[in-house]
Amino acid sequence: MLTRYKFLLTVTRNNYFLRQLSLESPNVFAKPESRCRTVEDNPLNHNLEHEGRFYVVPPAVCNQLFRFGGIPKGYEVQAKTFDETCLMIRKPALEVINMMKVADYSRPIVKYVLFGERGAGKSLTLAHILHYALNSGHLIIHVPWVPDWMKKCKDHTRSETREGFRDTPLDSAAWLAHFKTQNQHLLSQTDLTVTSNYTWSKREETRSGSPLVELVDLGINRIKYASNIIVALASEVKALSSSGRCKTLVAIDGFNCFYNKRTMIKDENWKIVPPFQLTVTEAFINLVNYNWTNGSVVLTADRLVWSGNERGESDLPLYQLGKEAFELLDPFIPVHVPCYSEKEFHSCMDYYMERSWIQNENGNTEEGRSELMYLSTMNPYQLMKICGPL
Amino acid sequence: MTVLGVIRLSVLTVPRNVSLYRRGNEEFLHKTYSSYGPHYVKPHVTTEKRKELIESGEAETLKLIPIKAALNYETCSVFHDELTRKFTNHVMRCGKKALARELIEKTFEKIKRIQLEKYHKTPEDQKESIIKDPVKILHDAISNSKPLLELTPVKRGGVRYQVPVPITENRSLFLAIKWLITSAKDKDRKIHFPEKLAWELLDAAANQGRVVKRKVDLHRQCEANKAFAHYRWS
Repeated sequence: MLTRYKFLLTVTRNNYFLRQLSLESPNVFAKPESRCRTVEDNPLNHNLEHEGRFYVVPPAVCNQLFRFGGIPKGYEVQAKTFDETCLMIRKPALEVINMMKVADYSRPIVKYVLFGERGAGKSLTLAHILHYALNSGHLIIHVPWVPDWMKKCKDHTRSETREGFRDTPLDSAAWLAHFKTQNQHLLSQTDLTVTSNYTWSKREETRSGSPLVELVDLGINRIKYASNIIVALASEVKALSSSGRCKTLVAIDGFNCFYNKRTMIKDENWKIVPPFQLTVTEAFINLVNYNWTNGSVVLTADRLVWSGNERGESDLPLYQLGKEAFELLDPFIPVHVPCYSEKEFHSCMDYYMERSWIQNENGNTEEGRSELMYLSTMNPYQLMKICGPL
Repeated sequence: MTVLGVIRLSVLTVPRNVSLYRRGNEEFLHKTYSSYGPHYVKPHVTTEKRKELIESGEAETLKLIPIKAALNYETCSVFHDELTRKFTNHVMRCGKKALARELIEKTFEKIKRIQLEKYHKTPEDQKESIIKDPVKILHDAISNSKPLLELTPVKRGGVRYQVPVPITENRSLFLAIKWLITSAKDKDRKIHFPEKLAWELLDAAANQGRVVKRKVDLHRQCEANKAFAHYRWS
């Protein structure tokens, strides 16, 4: 255990936070190395030799990154049953992490778009990238699932500052709490400050030079201004990154939902509100713009943001993003998230057998596995569903 | 002669006062009429059985004999369990087999989650005693719920007595499955059937709960009415 602490300390010399993390919450849940597991739980050190193997995400990290969402619900239930949150180290995540390591941050931001079929692992790839961003000291702007704001909006009001726009007070405040939790270590540093003056009302204003965390706290406490604060926060983060005071990762799951024709929100006249009439949309479209440096943007183009017949026939980024979004994002790096390879499939099956998830002894036989390979078509989500009753 | 001609002839040759069904010692009824002629044989579906037939050389003879089509539910899957199939059929309503299968699958998943949670909390030395296999739980639950005797009403001297009689294997199995499903349906509207059924199966497998109580009550009543047992014959 002590040698592992020392190893963590040497790798992340300048990252004071990580030292705190490792000393406060040692990974007592580490299981031995095997064909399906690796002890290396720091994504900074993940490479192709760990490919196809599971690593345990430390519970403290899980709580910090994913408390308000980020890991799909079905996987969360599995994690609760298995008594640990494990992520598989797969090529798409390693690709993006490696590209983020070697990118030239003096140039405008690089955009990565994850795409793949339903259940292939886009959200979990994003989760792995988030863990890397946390460990490497990035400021994280993470939207767990955009359709939650569009389809299951908790509350919406008419915007007071913009004509014809709608605010989403509760969702915005919840997101600001999520932002604060994910970045609590960086926000406590004093050199992240606001660059312009903002006046919210006669008595409330945020002066330039005040810490960024003050702005975030104001949004959480005063729900009325939360949506506008998110817009302000987006431009502040861009300014801070460009000036070199922090490096940023923007991770948005289901980005193509901003380009949906409509939301499930209806205004006072019972007319459907399109996404571009929501205040928060502007913040994230602004963040994805190429006019800032020292940042990375990872998006997913997911078929599931639509519903029913609108889902279309293709999972490819151009089809799912549509013309407008494509023109905004172009040029970007498309990263395909495929279904399991044979190595990954067997690794997953070994993991399920180890966790006693597959009780039937045929889970280990050649015949049983080839049957499951055929039935699940190597799709991770389908495999999870099929192995449920076994 | 056409197939239809064969059927008509075989039906005509059966005397009217004889039932077209014969009860045999095997699990299912023998039909004396069939779309298939008497020389058709049943198919062997599992890969294991096929390998045996090829090795023993019986496959060569079977190549020359007409074989019946496999029934809809028969599968060569290695994960197939006969008792689970029977249970799913009893859960099914209005012919919705897919829904019944989904419910059973969710039940098994729920059983595993409950047992695994228990497993992670128990100390090392007691971990072996916890059964996590949902199919094994189902088998245990059904065998613990099967009654050994039944009560039938017999009328003697104008009075109906509840007489304890022996029960066939089939009927015993049917009662066990029916009681388990009925008790699982008796629930609050907001609780889903798979969840309730999971709890019922776990209780019955541990020899406790409503279904086992019902079986034990039945046995007690049979014991109480032991005196009327001879009414079966007199």
